[in-house]
Amino acid sequence: MRRSERRAVLTGLMFVSPWLIGFLIFTLYPVIASGYLSFTDYRVLAPPRWVGMANYHSLVIDHDYFLPSLWDTIFMFLELPLSLIMGLALALLLDQKLRGIAVYRTLFYLPSIVPVVSSAVLWMWVLNPEHGLINSVLHSMHIPGPAWLASPAWAKPAMILMDLWGVGGGMVIYLAALQGVPTSLYEAADLDGANGWKKIRYVTIPSISPVIFFNLIMGVIGTFQYFTQTYIMTNGGPNNSTLFYAIYLYQNAFQYFRMGTACAMAWILFLITLVATFVVFKSSARWVYYEGETR
Amino acid sequence: MTKMQFLRLLCAALAIVPLAGCGDGRSTSDAGVVHLQVWSMWSGDEERSFEAVLAEYHKEHPGVVVDNLGAVTDEKSVRAIIAGAPPDLFTITDPSYLGTLAANNALEPLDGQFEAAGFKDQDFTPGALDECRYQGRLYAMPYLMDCIALLYNKDVFKDAGLDPNKPPRTYDELVEDCRKITRRDAEGRLTRIGLHPVEISPALLMSMFDGRFIDERGRITADDPNNIEGVTAYMRLMDAQGGYPAVQSFASGFGANTGAFNPFFHGDVGMLISGEWNAYTAFRYSPGTHYGVVALPYPGNHPNRAGLVWLADNPFCIPRGSKHAREAWEFLKWTQTPLAQKMLASTLHNVPNLRSELHDKDLIADPPFVAKSPKDVDPNSWRPLYGKFLALADSPTATGFPTMPVASMYAKELSNVYDSVGYGTKKPAEALAAIDVRVQREMDKYQ
Repeated sequence: MRRSERRAVLTGLMFVSPWLIGFLIFTLYPVIASGYLSFTDYRVLAPPRWVGMANYHSLVIDHDYFLPSLWDTIFMFLELPLSLIMGLALALLLDQKLRGIAVYRTLFYLPSIVPVVSSAVLWMWVLNPEHGLINSVLHSMHIPGPAWLASPAWAKPAMILMDLWGVGGGMVIYLAALQGVPTSLYEAADLDGANGWKKIRYVTIPSISPVIFFNLIMGVIGTFQYFTQTYIMTNGGPNNSTLFYAIYLYQNAFQYFRMGTACAMAWILFLITLVATFVVFKSSARWVYYEGETR
Repeated sequence: MTKMQFLRLLCAALAIVPLAGCGDGRSTSDAGVVHLQVWSMWSGDEERSFEAVLAEYHKEHPGVVVDNLGAVTDEKSVRAIIAGAPPDLFTITDPSYLGTLAANNALEPLDGQFEAAGFKDQDFTPGALDECRYQGRLYAMPYLMDCIALLYNKDVFKDAGLDPNKPPRTYDELVEDCRKITRRDAEGRLTRIGLHPVEISPALLMSMFDGRFIDERGRITADDPNNIEGVTAYMRLMDAQGGYPAVQSFASGFGANTGAFNPFFHGDVGMLISGEWNAYTAFRYSPGTHYGVVALPYPGNHPNRAGLVWLADNPFCIPRGSKHAREAWEFLKWTQTPLAQKMLASTLHNVPNLRSELHDKDLIADPPFVAKSPKDVDPNSWRPLYGKFLALADSPTATGFPTMPVASMYAKELSNVYDSVGYGTKKPAEALAAIDVRVQREMDKYQ
């Protein structure tokens, strides 16, 4: 490298240094440190002590908390297809050329801009088994409502229900993608005598499959990190039925002073997410269509 | 200066500017005045009460200004200690943190100062110092405390056909009274229950049954037979009120216990196991309702538990690395004076930890009050109930959760017991044995 080139590189690095320093100190260093700490007994107030694989070992045999927390998190994947289908269905409905469609779009999008914490608090009231909106309606129809967040069986479905209320965020992305589907394809389908459903199945969905793929990947990652709603609404209860992975990780790290265990959990979660994302990526070759792609 | 040189200089300057803000702005001593940094748990009205006390301290000690930071959580204090930037003095909200901090050598031991100040154990409210000690050494000083006992709503008792002047003394009487207080609507849904189920923690209940959490050798004893008996008895109490799931569902409709929405003040529950502050909040949020308080009911086969109350301190700790440990101790010493105890107790409505203050007329007397108009309310009418709490606190059987390094995890594990037994996941003995194994495993790391 010539002297002037070196100078240019140096100058460039200096310009990006605010980001670079931030990345090194606040992202890369913690990531590496957590990897090291996951092999130690680190009680935060005392220096870490090397214990090898002990944290990982005690986690994978923990049938009381760790494994149930993983299964409970996986249960929440039920939400994924539901939110994909509902988001897409809403987007298709709101893609019609109607008077005042912008108003409808706004109405359905509105819930997704409510901060998660506020909507969680709001839904605690909606789902309240005694005075809540849902159970009051059910009661007026003489249907005994479940105890929702106060019932180990209904707490997870209640959270899925709440999250579907915020499906507008995904909907807006689909809606944008729908605008990009070439009308020529629909015209061709019309000429071939395709009905409405066939047009959706063979034109719309393949055309917007990259966007479905994007929402799916984000959904997979988000579900593994499911935290805020539970932290606000149930804090893991009742009977640990909503003690999701991220909540249990948080408790270990910040309430029980078991930072080593928490770091090990974080790395296990990273590996699981990596594998799950990889599987989705691999499968995408079969169903995601990119325009201009040759096979 | 070329343009390039100028830009480099600018970048360097921008990188340095934020660092300048990181200097030590705390614990400054200017012109001989020491600024003592205290982080406290109190917020809102309580914070103002505490700050009034600090102003009084400054009046008596012009050389020291106590700077209070309110609404500090335990997590924040712990993080500051780890980061090596602790305050000079801080409160612990959840007493279970004390053992963890002490076991990890994060707190200054105070035994020497305690002795030098001439304090004697017997001058303190029974149990007040237990929560401040870990393995026999003193790591905190209480500044007031909470006394948890059984509150009952006399009007609800009357409505349920019970004698409002005969609150339950034994556990069996508690179960029976709860059964009689419980009401349902036409469709069988609960509309009123006997005892608020939230505040009666498994640890408190187990101590009612003379249970033990740790033995003399430091072994965890979660599955002590008396603990198992306690959990079994709790399910009996729930069954008397419609069963555990039904009570949980009903209770999830309750508002927060701290304010006007406390279901106890609305007669949705007949009894509440809670602390002395309720004397004042009841007066504030439901004046005109009649309340009483008694010691926690004791099981017939454990008569030695009669007169039991559950205690929890407001502990103040001096962290290792406190820049003004000496001044911090001087302040703590002052909090143990009758004036300091009385001043905060009368505004915070907590229990004095100085035994002599428990019977102080200034705190508990309800002077005669003449209403000038029908709207006038006797501003001291909460004091008799508060005085009963103070009398109950002076009890030889007062107890609390033992200090140990794993107390926080242990308490959380215990708090899950009701759910796992109540929803039928586990039998009491089985649930407690599992806790025993898990907590012991953590405890072993400290041996």
